[in-house]
Amino acid sequence: MKVYERLAQAFAAEGVSHIFGIMGDGNMYWMHELDKLGVKMLEVRHEGAGLGMADGWARVTHTPGVATATCGPGVSQLATALLTASRAESPLVAFVGEHPTNDDEYNQRLDQARFAAACEAGFVRLNSADSTDEIVRKAFYLAKLESRPIMLSAPMDIQQKTFDDDEPYKPSSTLFSTRPSRPDPEALERAADIIAASRKPVIVAGRGARWSGAGDAILKLADRTGALIATSLMAKTWLSEDPYHVGVSGLYATRTAIQLFEEADCVIGIGASLNRYTTEHGYLYPNARFVHLDTKPHVMMSGGKSADCYVQTDAKAGVEALESLFAKRSVKTTGYRTPEVKKRLNGHFEDRTEFLLEPGSADPREVINALDETVPEDFSLFTGSGSTAGFSNILFRRRRPVVLASHFFGCIGQMLPAAMGGVLAMGNKPAMLVDGDASVMMHLAEFETMVRYEMPLLVVVMNNQALGSEYYKLDAHEMKAELATVPTPDLGAVAKAFGGRGKLARSAEDVRAAAAEWVAKPGPMMIDARISRSVVTLPYRRMHYGRDE
Amino acid sequence: MIEISERVDVPSTPPIVWGLLSDPRAVVDCVPGATLGDEQEDGSFDATLVVKFGPAKVTFNARVALEFDAAAMVGHVTAKGKDKQGGTRVRATMAFRVAEQADAPGSTIPIDAQVEISGRLASLVEGGAKIVVKRMTSEFSERLAARCAAASAV
Repeated sequence: MKVYERLAQAFAAEGVSHIFGIMGDGNMYWMHELDKLGVKMLEVRHEGAGLGMADGWARVTHTPGVATATCGPGVSQLATALLTASRAESPLVAFVGEHPTNDDEYNQRLDQARFAAACEAGFVRLNSADSTDEIVRKAFYLAKLESRPIMLSAPMDIQQKTFDDDEPYKPSSTLFSTRPSRPDPEALERAADIIAASRKPVIVAGRGARWSGAGDAILKLADRTGALIATSLMAKTWLSEDPYHVGVSGLYATRTAIQLFEEADCVIGIGASLNRYTTEHGYLYPNARFVHLDTKPHVMMSGGKSADCYVQTDAKAGVEALESLFAKRSVKTTGYRTPEVKKRLNGHFEDRTEFLLEPGSADPREVINALDETVPEDFSLFTGSGSTAGFSNILFRRRRPVVLASHFFGCIGQMLPAAMGGVLAMGNKPAMLVDGDASVMMHLAEFETMVRYEMPLLVVVMNNQALGSEYYKLDAHEMKAELATVPTPDLGAVAKAFGGRGKLARSAEDVRAAAAEWVAKPGPMMIDARISRSVVTLPYRRMHYGRDE
Repeated sequence: MIEISERVDVPSTPPIVWGLLSDPRAVVDCVPGATLGDEQEDGSFDATLVVKFGPAKVTFNARVALEFDAAAMVGHVTAKGKDKQGGTRVRATMAFRVAEQADAPGSTIPIDAQVEISGRLASLVEGGAKIVVKRMTSEFSERLAARCAAASAV
């Protein structure tokens, strides 16, 4: 058989069911073989978007997503998406062609190893037919072990060589076990001492805790220690059924939550990096000692600081071990869990500041509330980037199967592809994406991909017809904010022209009606929600306008 | 660098106003969130300043030096400090002068201040810091005016 056939067999044997990308002569033979093996290929409109979808797949399943591009120009399109996936620590394999090894003058030549390095991705190359199995196994092994994108670069001429081995392919799972790591008993005792001595603990749960299935254990620990539960942005709304859940820790926290954090004498970080965004450079918790549980050997918190006690452990194993220690010690603290705190938390998500809306525009806060109410709890949610994330990342409240926020690499445009990959990873279960206009416009062509594959994804464009972040920063500096305004056409009509459903909405009620229509029959749909620019997000009011809200 | 120019007009005569302003404790009392601590050998003071950036409070420990020129009725205040966690540094200078108002017996007090914030909080508060400092300066002016009014009423 040919090397490309073996490559395809190896990918299938790794458990790959879907791949995302664009066909070119550097990957088409491999794709042709994958198709025979029943692997589903999603043809997209931009290679970077394909990789973004694989990234979304990885973030939802925590297993490697697979993207593909042809050599040279197909690869260079991957830059922003690769960086985003790398910063997201998404396990991912990008199968890319490479110019023939015997043709240095080839039109589409590119030093792909250097490119991958600049994009913070790992790199492996298929240097000979004999190493075919080894290189695929290594790519998946590294993607999982290092939890990051690995570019597998396969020169076109080597793909056409003969592969001469009839042994079955050994997948990367044969190389290492994925047993959860258990906490060191001594470290755990120290952690328990700190927590037991505290009167006001705050649990900050991150996506690592969600991945490990530590939810029930965390609810128990919180109840026993009287802790508030907050999450990192990456675990937004997770465990929000708890009455002392206060939302996201960080600048997306409510004023009440920030005031409660200030009283904390202990922060218990579980599967969360406790980075500068989560702790506001540490300023959110000026009086707290830190206990930090994570699977990594060590995690440095914001500002180059280390927790007072770091415990390397799987989140679930660690929290359960803490719980049994506390049971043994008969620890039971009221902590924050008092009627007074419950009263303070009543309605704390409501943002009552009034703004004068421009005619024909909706209050973005009402748009988010309408969506959260109208879209049922078993539908997932993806939130985008840019200034409007300041509404969605605070106001969406309901726990949903998957809630993923954008953030990584601070770029716009990456969440539409990630949401598409995420929807497929969930087995085509319905979800909504709420993102800004500039962000959605960037990869608008992928709406056509959504239509082609009939994805049950609702795209809500929070359309202020501006590059919102820049608009408000210019405004706060008393500069010409209009410079950041960029009008869009009616995106509901655009969605229809692409073959999907679409609506232009000029009020929260319009949004509610359109969302209800989508909920009744989920499919590819876009709501162009025209929102008022006069409503400034809470984080921006704090950061750029110096308001205490 | 944040630069502020304010002007406070009070109905009291310059000697009364100067009498108030040349007392370090009186000046610091007018700064919102500030508390004056011990006096050092070199005549400077320890001080703490609590500043609210949004809903989050940041406490700065600072060393404040005051210079007064009674003849010219001019004062210089410099403050240098960092926050409790050591992540953010602040350096501020303020100059004020007490002069007779065109229509006596009132005084006019021009205040020029420069505040420099560096470190972690600098990026965090970006545009907001300027507004926070401006707000603090105008509150300072109000308190000062109130104090002078109280003194002249006596």
